[in-house]
Amino acid sequence: MGMLKIDQVSVTHNKRRAIKDASFSANEGEIIGFIGADGAGKSSLMHAIAGVIRFEGKISFQNTIYHSPSEAQILKSKIGLMPQGIGLVLYDLLTVGEHLDFFANIRDIRQDDRFNEYKNRLLRMAGLDKFIDRRAGNLSGGMMQKLSLICTLLHRPKLLILDEPTTGVDPLSRIELWKILDQIRCEEGTIALVSTAYMQEAAQMDRVLLFDEGEIIAQGCAKELIKSVQDMTYVRKPFTTPHSMSTLDTTYSLEPLEAEHAEPTLEALFFVNALQKNRILPSVEITPRDGDTSFSSVVMEAQGLTKTFGDFVANDRVDIRLCRGEILGLLGSNGAGKTTFIKMLLGLLPIDDGELNLLGKRIETAKDRQELKSSIGYVSQHFALYNDMTVRENLHYFASMHQIPMDIAIKRIARYSEELGFDGYMDAIPTELPLGINQRFSLAAALLHEPVILFLDEPTSGVDAIARAQFWQLLVALKEKWKIAILITTHYMSEAEFCDRIVLMRDGCKVADDTIPNLYTAHPNAKTFEEIFLEYYR
Amino acid sequence: MNRIFWSIVGKELIGFIRSWQLVLVVLYMFSVEVYIAGSGIEINPRNVAVGYVDGTAGGLSQKILTHLHGPEFLAPRRFNSQRELSRAIFDKEIIVGLVFDADFEKKWRQNKSAQLDILMDATAASQAYTTLNYLQHIVLDISKVNIPVDIVTHKLFNQNADNHTFMALTELLSIITMLSIILTAVVFVREKEQGTWDLMLLMPVNPKVIILAKSFSQIIVVMTGIVISLGFVVLGIFNVPVNGSLSAFLLLSFFFVFAGSGIGLFIAAVARDVMQVAQLSIVVMMPLIFLSGAWTPIYAMHPALQYLSYISPLRYYIEGSESIFYRGTEWIDLWPYFMGVISVGGVMYWIGFRKIGRLF
Repeated sequence: MGMLKIDQVSVTHNKRRAIKDASFSANEGEIIGFIGADGAGKSSLMHAIAGVIRFEGKISFQNTIYHSPSEAQILKSKIGLMPQGIGLVLYDLLTVGEHLDFFANIRDIRQDDRFNEYKNRLLRMAGLDKFIDRRAGNLSGGMMQKLSLICTLLHRPKLLILDEPTTGVDPLSRIELWKILDQIRCEEGTIALVSTAYMQEAAQMDRVLLFDEGEIIAQGCAKELIKSVQDMTYVRKPFTTPHSMSTLDTTYSLEPLEAEHAEPTLEALFFVNALQKNRILPSVEITPRDGDTSFSSVVMEAQGLTKTFGDFVANDRVDIRLCRGEILGLLGSNGAGKTTFIKMLLGLLPIDDGELNLLGKRIETAKDRQELKSSIGYVSQHFALYNDMTVRENLHYFASMHQIPMDIAIKRIARYSEELGFDGYMDAIPTELPLGINQRFSLAAALLHEPVILFLDEPTSGVDAIARAQFWQLLVALKEKWKIAILITTHYMSEAEFCDRIVLMRDGCKVADDTIPNLYTAHPNAKTFEEIFLEYYR
Repeated sequence: MNRIFWSIVGKELIGFIRSWQLVLVVLYMFSVEVYIAGSGIEINPRNVAVGYVDGTAGGLSQKILTHLHGPEFLAPRRFNSQRELSRAIFDKEIIVGLVFDADFEKKWRQNKSAQLDILMDATAASQAYTTLNYLQHIVLDISKVNIPVDIVTHKLFNQNADNHTFMALTELLSIITMLSIILTAVVFVREKEQGTWDLMLLMPVNPKVIILAKSFSQIIVVMTGIVISLGFVVLGIFNVPVNGSLSAFLLLSFFFVFAGSGIGLFIAAVARDVMQVAQLSIVVMMPLIFLSGAWTPIYAMHPALQYLSYISPLRYYIEGSESIFYRGTEWIDLWPYFMGVISVGGVMYWIGFRKIGRLF
């Protein structure tokens, strides 16, 4: 009873295989984790199982077999799907209570005492019972996700499909989300399929499926999976052999190395898989920049930066100092004020109060802002670039905008494309490229004018583990060779450890600003950075 | 500055050419759309179905009927009774029905007042009334009324009184209005949609240059469309007379497109996505076109609307273009139209420029 069996399921989007021959099964009350990069096929498989897109193959759930969305129709009352994206299923103008009524009505649930009791319990679990009259548009990201989850749970589904429910959500809400999920699956015997970008979350699940390029490359209990790659994981070795790959702290090798073994995480599986398929990325080499690197040691200093939108204080007297040759990680959940702060630093939003100094000079007039812009390199979220121009045309366009002389521009573009490893894609349109390539090409566009500050807004979200590791090596190389200051936002806590210094924001205020070792000494009970982060949210 | 300006213009043109759907739409507008308007909209009667009931022996009645011939009328169809004829009109088989009573010819021969009954389907109002006009002429002709006046008409500017050329030109001008607004708005809004807006703001470039260059690139696109449409459709197919100077028309168009792109800038500042651009453009464009005299002559409008029409740059543009094409007005005498387009258009561009400039 209640068994879910996926048999050789394939999904094709516009002649492109999104997922090929996926097979797995799940038992009552199990939580199955889906991990892998964007475009690896997780969402496609989830939508196929939910019976909302066409697929090939066979799925059976509670002894009902279906091959197409129309055959799955009779199961819809037992399935709950929560698509990717915060608050995507919510209506901004409806209140929390109205949402619950609305979802109960479209699901045609009899609203008797039993239902009301269940509903109130869900509300209490989500901590939303005090906010019944608040509009969804005014909830925080974490509350929105909790509301989406309880709306999906209202009809007591036996199969719950959650597509990245925790991405971008603050750690406390994330823990609460998991608590709700855990309780529901114990009580109702619900099968939950959950995709996540956080390896720590995946490690907690009953079973994990690893996705890579439209295939499930491994599945099983997280502990066993990690154990299987234990022998190939070492503490970082500075040199490389042909069958090895390194991140900033670990080296993976198929051949035995004379080094100490390190404790692998689930990510190690992706590296080992790539090594086995002989997909080895070239190591990173960065040549020194054309301009000099002897600028002042404090590159940018913000003092008491404040931004208000009406009554709402988005940034409350934030001080941040950026030093030469430093990687500063800016952490905080959605709505903590990161974006507002960044926009003020970039000169995109006027500063309401406080002062901003760049290379020792105060930024006040519009002309100062223009100067600010020419010394900042910016990689936006999702690597937004011009999608109707090729990589080469994009880079030339940026060079012209920064008034870099043509001959220098051509030389630089050639050099960057080689060093950042996208020279094979110069005449392709950005949308045709893998995300990892786009990421490096966006970085090249941001570096063309040799800025003194590089600003990166979640540059690694959705990018696969290997490309992410390589990107971090690039950043470290840039920091060392170019001495530029790098300000980066990320929601991967494991990446925070690669930063020299961390600034933590919460509700528009800075709550921590220190180096990693200092933070660990200040929080002796914390074993991982995630736990430190959590302590600031308690 | 120069290099930046032309880089942006080049980038936008590349972007335009690579989005083939947009290229197709623009080409369609400038060719097929103008052709359809020119050949499809008919004000004179054409292929009017005529039916008649003839109670006379058929001398005079047939004489009148022979005047109803192609291309204006289909061959008259005979019905046996007035009821049958009414039925046919009701079923939309016949537009105009003539009823000759039994004593029609007799009365006429006796110089008494003879009565010809006409039934008309007035849903096609203008066709029906022009047909009526024709019939009155025919009857007047046959009646040989001896009024010692001869009418001799000289049709000025459009000798064949051909409304195809006029409709084609009016449609072209409306399309120029529409595309100059929408294309300009879209180049800005697409940056908002693709998430490249911030990148654009972060360029260490004077925002004025960006706005000017981006709108200029779309002016180039529209001007190219105008030349294509003029060459192939307006002059090629419809043979619109060019009594004035074509370069005067192109220059006037250039200034007018600026006005349109000013409205486009304003819409781009307000709209969040391309869908909103489409909605807003329609809301803005319709009054602009109605108030311009494109559909109804301005002197036939309500006085209040006549005053309002002064703020539509399209009014000066249409009057100017008609003067150039039909009247062959000299350069020097075109100044009121140029003044109108430049002053109203200049204000519009300035407003749009200021509005979007605030987003930078």
